[in-house]
Amino acid sequence: MEEAAQEVFLKAFTELGSYEGRGSMEGWLTRITTNTCLNLIRSSKRRPELTVSDLTEDQSDWLDKNLTDAATQQHQSSERSLVAADLAGRVLQTMPADDQLVLTMIDGEDASVKDVAEMTGWSESKVKTQAFRARRRMREAVEKLLAGRKGRRALSDARS
Amino acid sequence: MRDEHIISLIENTSLGNLSETDLTVIRAHAQECSNCLRAFEAAQVSLRLLKEHAAVQFEPSPFFHTRVLATLRQRQAGNDAWAFGRLWRAAGALASSMVATVAALAFLTFVIPDRQVATISQASLNPNGYSAEEVILDQAQSEEVSEGQLLTTIYDGDEETR
Repeated sequence: MEEAAQEVFLKAFTELGSYEGRGSMEGWLTRITTNTCLNLIRSSKRRPELTVSDLTEDQSDWLDKNLTDAATQQHQSSERSLVAADLAGRVLQTMPADDQLVLTMIDGEDASVKDVAEMTGWSESKVKTQAFRARRRMREAVEKLLAGRKGRRALSDARS
Repeated sequence: MRDEHIISLIENTSLGNLSETDLTVIRAHAQECSNCLRAFEAAQVSLRLLKEHAAVQFEPSPFFHTRVLATLRQRQAGNDAWAFGRLWRAAGALASSMVATVAALAFLTFVIPDRQVATISQASLNPNGYSAEEVILDQAQSEEVSEGQLLTTIYDGDEETR
């Protein structure tokens, strides 16, 4: 995260001369940030598929708790939120950079399709398609994890 | 409602932005369909994970500012070194081209005229040469000899008659 922030500051400083004042400064900075983060994610090695055995105990507990009560919006302690954020990061790392971007912005940050299109320079239809595919990938990855947890729980219940 | 419709409904829009009517329809269908129930549960967990991921705020380390400035200076120094290297390479190329030009001019000035003189003198020394000068000179010599021989022959003839 700090690496990305540092890169954004450096780029903004060195490319300040290229800002022509046409759009807003905020928009210009957002574009630099988006491109920098996308490039960093693309250059980093994508993790292989995440399986239940890769999860930490805390992450497995979090999944179990959310599986039993998936429908209700429960208040979570800051520790559990961090566990969830870490798990989300691990799931996202198995996905392409563009998927990570649209999921984080649209589903995580509640940004609109138009906002993401402006940030990335993509068309709105591309953002929608990308979000659709990314949601499917994320859902399938989580579904596998949940199925794995259910299987393990059933096994441990049978043993006890 | 078909399974595919429920799943596409889940995937088309963020679950958090679905209307209450859509959610009621999805929940009602999920009660009867195990595939859609799994998909719906996974979508809910995914959304929660993404929300938690987005909610995390990162505090930069206390030396972040110093690190950024240090990296900036390092890159600027790198750029300066690179610019000097480029200038040095350009100067090297310029010097090489100048040396090559001087060598070419020297070759044209000194070596080629010497070769021309040497060729002409070799041609004149050659007994079997067929230069225009030699042919003319040879012709003149042969004409002189024939006239001399003619006079000698005439005078010799007169003396014999006396």
